[in-house]
Amino acid sequence: MASTSEAARPVVFTTSTPYPLPSQKFMIPTTWKRYQLSQLINKALDLPKPIPFDFLIRGELLRGSLGEWCAERDVGDEETLNIEYIESVMPPQKMSSLPHQDWVSSVSCKIPEHFITGSYDGSIRLFSYSQQLLQTSHLHEAPITSLSIIPQTTSSTDDTTSYLVATASHDLTGLITRLFLSPESKPKTESLASLHLHTSPLASISANSSGTHLLTSSWDSLIGLWDTSIPPSDEIPLEADTTRSSKKRKLAKSGERPKRKAPLQVLKSHTGRVSKVIFGRGEERDEGNGYSCGYDSTVRVWDVESGMCTRTVSASEKPFLDLALMSSQTVLAASTDRTITSYDLRAPTSSILTSSSSMIHPSVPSCITTPSSSPSINNHQFVSGAYDGVVRLWDLRSVKSPISGFKVNEGGKVLCVDWVVGGGGGGKGMVGIGGEGGVEVWQVGMDVSR
Amino acid sequence: MAVTEAKKSSKKRKQIHEEPVVQVEEVSQDVGLQMLSDEEGEDEDIASDDGEVDEFPEINVESDSDEEDEEDEEDEGDEDEEDEENEDDEEEDASDDDLGIFPKAKTIISDITGQPKLVYPEIEPDYDSDSSTEDDPNRTGNVPMHWYDDMPHIGYDMNGKKVFRPARGDELDKFLDTVEDPSSWTTAFDKSAQTDKPLTAEELDIIRRLQAGENPDANYNPYEPTVEWFTGKGKEELMPLSAAPEPKRRWVPSKWEKKKVMKIVRAIRQGRIVPAKPKSTQPQFYSIWSTPTDDLHPAPLPAPKPRLPTNAESYNPPPEYLPTDDERKEWETQDKEDREREFLPQKYGALRLVPAYGEFIRERFSRQLDLYLAPRIQRMRLQIDPNSLIPKLPSPSSLKPFPNHKALKFVHAKGRVRCLSISPDGGWVVSGDEDGVVSLWEVIVGREVKRWKYEGKIGALEWCPRTDVSFFVVGVEDHLHFVVPPNLPSPVLALTQSLLAPATLPPAPATPSPVKWSSNHSVDPSLEQPILTLSLPPSTGVPKQITWHRRGDYLASVSSGEGQGGVWIHQLSKRHSQAPFKKIRGAVQLVLFHPTKPHFFVATQRYVRLYNLAEQKLLKTLMPGIKWISSMDVHPSGDHVIVGGYDRKLCWFDLELSDKPYKILRYHTRALRSLQFHPTYPLFASSSDDGSIQVFHARVYNDLMTDPLIVPLKILRGHEVSDGLGVLEVKWCSRQPWLVSAGADGNVAVWCS
Repeated sequence: MASTSEAARPVVFTTSTPYPLPSQKFMIPTTWKRYQLSQLINKALDLPKPIPFDFLIRGELLRGSLGEWCAERDVGDEETLNIEYIESVMPPQKMSSLPHQDWVSSVSCKIPEHFITGSYDGSIRLFSYSQQLLQTSHLHEAPITSLSIIPQTTSSTDDTTSYLVATASHDLTGLITRLFLSPESKPKTESLASLHLHTSPLASISANSSGTHLLTSSWDSLIGLWDTSIPPSDEIPLEADTTRSSKKRKLAKSGERPKRKAPLQVLKSHTGRVSKVIFGRGEERDEGNGYSCGYDSTVRVWDVESGMCTRTVSASEKPFLDLALMSSQTVLAASTDRTITSYDLRAPTSSILTSSSSMIHPSVPSCITTPSSSPSINNHQFVSGAYDGVVRLWDLRSVKSPISGFKVNEGGKVLCVDWVVGGGGGGKGMVGIGGEGGVEVWQVGMDVSR
Repeated sequence: MAVTEAKKSSKKRKQIHEEPVVQVEEVSQDVGLQMLSDEEGEDEDIASDDGEVDEFPEINVESDSDEEDEEDEEDEGDEDEEDEENEDDEEEDASDDDLGIFPKAKTIISDITGQPKLVYPEIEPDYDSDSSTEDDPNRTGNVPMHWYDDMPHIGYDMNGKKVFRPARGDELDKFLDTVEDPSSWTTAFDKSAQTDKPLTAEELDIIRRLQAGENPDANYNPYEPTVEWFTGKGKEELMPLSAAPEPKRRWVPSKWEKKKVMKIVRAIRQGRIVPAKPKSTQPQFYSIWSTPTDDLHPAPLPAPKPRLPTNAESYNPPPEYLPTDDERKEWETQDKEDREREFLPQKYGALRLVPAYGEFIRERFSRQLDLYLAPRIQRMRLQIDPNSLIPKLPSPSSLKPFPNHKALKFVHAKGRVRCLSISPDGGWVVSGDEDGVVSLWEVIVGREVKRWKYEGKIGALEWCPRTDVSFFVVGVEDHLHFVVPPNLPSPVLALTQSLLAPATLPPAPATPSPVKWSSNHSVDPSLEQPILTLSLPPSTGVPKQITWHRRGDYLASVSSGEGQGGVWIHQLSKRHSQAPFKKIRGAVQLVLFHPTKPHFFVATQRYVRLYNLAEQKLLKTLMPGIKWISSMDVHPSGDHVIVGGYDRKLCWFDLELSDKPYKILRYHTRALRSLQFHPTYPLFASSSDDGSIQVFHARVYNDLMTDPLIVPLKILRGHEVSDGLGVLEVKWCSRQPWLVSAGADGNVAVWCS
């Protein structure tokens, strides 16, 4: 062994995983790569089952050898490196693809064993995990821009399970639809109520975790708050004009016409198009909070009950396209200047921009998502889709480059992503990606240990 | 007389040293005779050297001197041959004594002319005479003798006859001569005679003297006996020359001298004479161009260089420069001032045939006059760093936001996209291609929501700027179609319908217009059909531009057809169209409404005219200096206009300032196609046939003193050039710094900040 020629570097390991090393200095040969380091930690901890680790040096994922990294960054030989290790994620794998005729504007994996997609042809489609198209229902005449499953507590009657699906469309309305699922028969849909407030196309719709309220955002800079109860009769009189005659005819054909519903509350303070609005995750403090972002380069936090804007984060010239909650106090927002920025909402209101880190994309990031069903775990990962057709998996601790990226739909635009953990494959995460060429489902590994 | 006295004195000396002189004379005579045979002469010479060195010069003095008496007395016998000449000499000498220098000329009647002529006696080439050294028979002079190496002769004698080369032996003969001939070592090679010649006794004597370091002139006696003229016995001067008493002035200081000195002293004291005055070193005449510069006066101007001669001035000019006879005649008849050039080119066979330049003095003089009289300016070469001339512009990164990347693109499957328009709320784009397809799509997603198909090219598209109604106008083939987009809120839709297809038509205007307005009153809002169609008069061609007044009631269209300019102004509320210009000069390219005033811009091929519509008169004409105007836009403030042309130029006009462009930019490599100011951000963009879009920061200040700031920000590339056409139209999103561009490659791209 040519130990004389092999340089070594002092290294201190830190971690936030449940596998801490004693804090001491290690002399690591500079030729070592991730694999050797991972082996070292496994051996040092004497783990019963080997766990692969990834290594972060100064917010960057170690890709090559330690020596290469130092040479690139021009780090002195004697400097002690502080290396954080995280459990590595497996490279994403494609599971299935669900072809669509039209562009898919939204996808949801919230219904167990099913995918539901909203498309620009105005239809929602229900797919089973076996890539089988179960149901297509034409809800809107105009493109559907957003879709949300309303969680419900009392829904199942004998075999038939029913879900409430809220959709938002270019035709200026949202729609609450009940979806009946039964193992024997074909699933059915029934449009229950239409939401009438906006005078411009709707951009997004989302339900809170308890399923009692809905938020809609629109291009007319308004946010509407709705409850999910179905009114017995129209709250807004039918317009006397004849423009909707065809729709009326169609609905009349299908049976019952959806009730016209008015909003509980209108949240006004955005000055441009509101591109996304979401509820808080239902944790202790942000139960009643709404979060919205818009083309006026602001991210706003709303007290939904009172309809007040409690906090405004103003960026400069960053029209936001999408928003996701990382934790109750960290918001990720994607903007057209090709960045995704995380904002810490705990910082005092008076302070100027509190952007902690921004992740630069080669193309416009259109959508971001965080793993939905694991809110308790302090997670650092999220998935973003961009117009160049690449979906990227990011770790907030390593903001300079994504952990991995994969191309979907042959490079067509990615318009929506949804990430469910613990769905099908035993602790694995599943990402549904919708866009120009249909929907693809990818398995994106969470921490391998789980 | 001095000469006779000298003779006398020499006689006296001779008398004094009589005896030795006689001896020597005898010896010299002997030597002269015996010199014929070298050996003996030499022996004698040596012998005489031994014995009578001192007396030797005496001989030479007498033998060489011109003293006729002595010659006559002593050398008559030697000079038998020259008797006749001697006679002449004697006569000559007599005259010589009288006149001093020249021999006297005899007057003789010439045989040939019969006139008396002066005949001078021939000069005997003597030792003292000039030609005494030229008794060489070879008269070639001082030329290198090797010139005659190949010739049988070695030169010419005085009469021009060839002097033939004497026979010379080879080296062996030479050697044998040295052995056999005892005189060979006193011979020397005579270059001009090309033969060995024995040295004469005189020459040998000169050699000997030179060797001994003596004066080579044997005549010279360094030890002449002292002649005591005033000393010696009986020659003393006993008395002074004058017996007068010595005058007083010999010992009394001079009064006048003292006065003179005092005068000088006074002058020195008064400073009129500076004792140690430095002599001025400056020459009286100096070159005025070469004096060094001092602080007070500017440096002298360098004299301009005279024009260099050209081919025509050559002594041997090319034939095309030579004037023909006609030209020559014309030149000669012209006045001097009118002549194009001051000389006629002339050809000479050789440079030595060129005569002296007749105009030289005159030209010199006029040049001096020019230098002296002509006012000249000095052109200073500026030492300027070229970088410092570039205006200081803020860096583009400080002028964000501006579009810098292509966010998405929308593809028209076939046909070039000629036109596009963005809805006033900035959410929708309509784009029309040459295939007749009009697509409506979202700006940021790029999904086509609706598509219309028309027959023929889509020439122009424009969205109505009103926000309470929503529709756009499509220009196709003599028609303007008013189209309502889908998914409108019902109040907007109702208002739009009532505006475009009112239930009760307004009263028909007094003057019927050739433009027909036909509304589609169908209740079906499927909106496939245009809600209103304006039929322009037939054969007006495709409307190539549609522009709205900012209030959205007036609409101007420019058609590409011939005649009448094809400019129409349509008023929606009155459903009336009118042609604003009865007759217009030039083909109208573009029209524009002023954003704040009732003014109307009309761009013809080369000029932009600004009309006041209310007063119906021409306000001003802008002269961009562009060969063919392609595009034009007005700044939202209304005071600035940019005009682009097919000749790659972009002109910025400040309407308050001038009819001439404030700035002319030329940065595209191909023709400009489209220009637009951003309605809210200080930006404008231009697109070109080179496939690139350039984005500029254009800040306009409210105070009139500050010039607009124009900073180039970004070149957006991404459109392909197809058939020489690049980006045909650019439009800004109204609320965001986003740019939408339509290319000839069928792509419509959205550029985001």
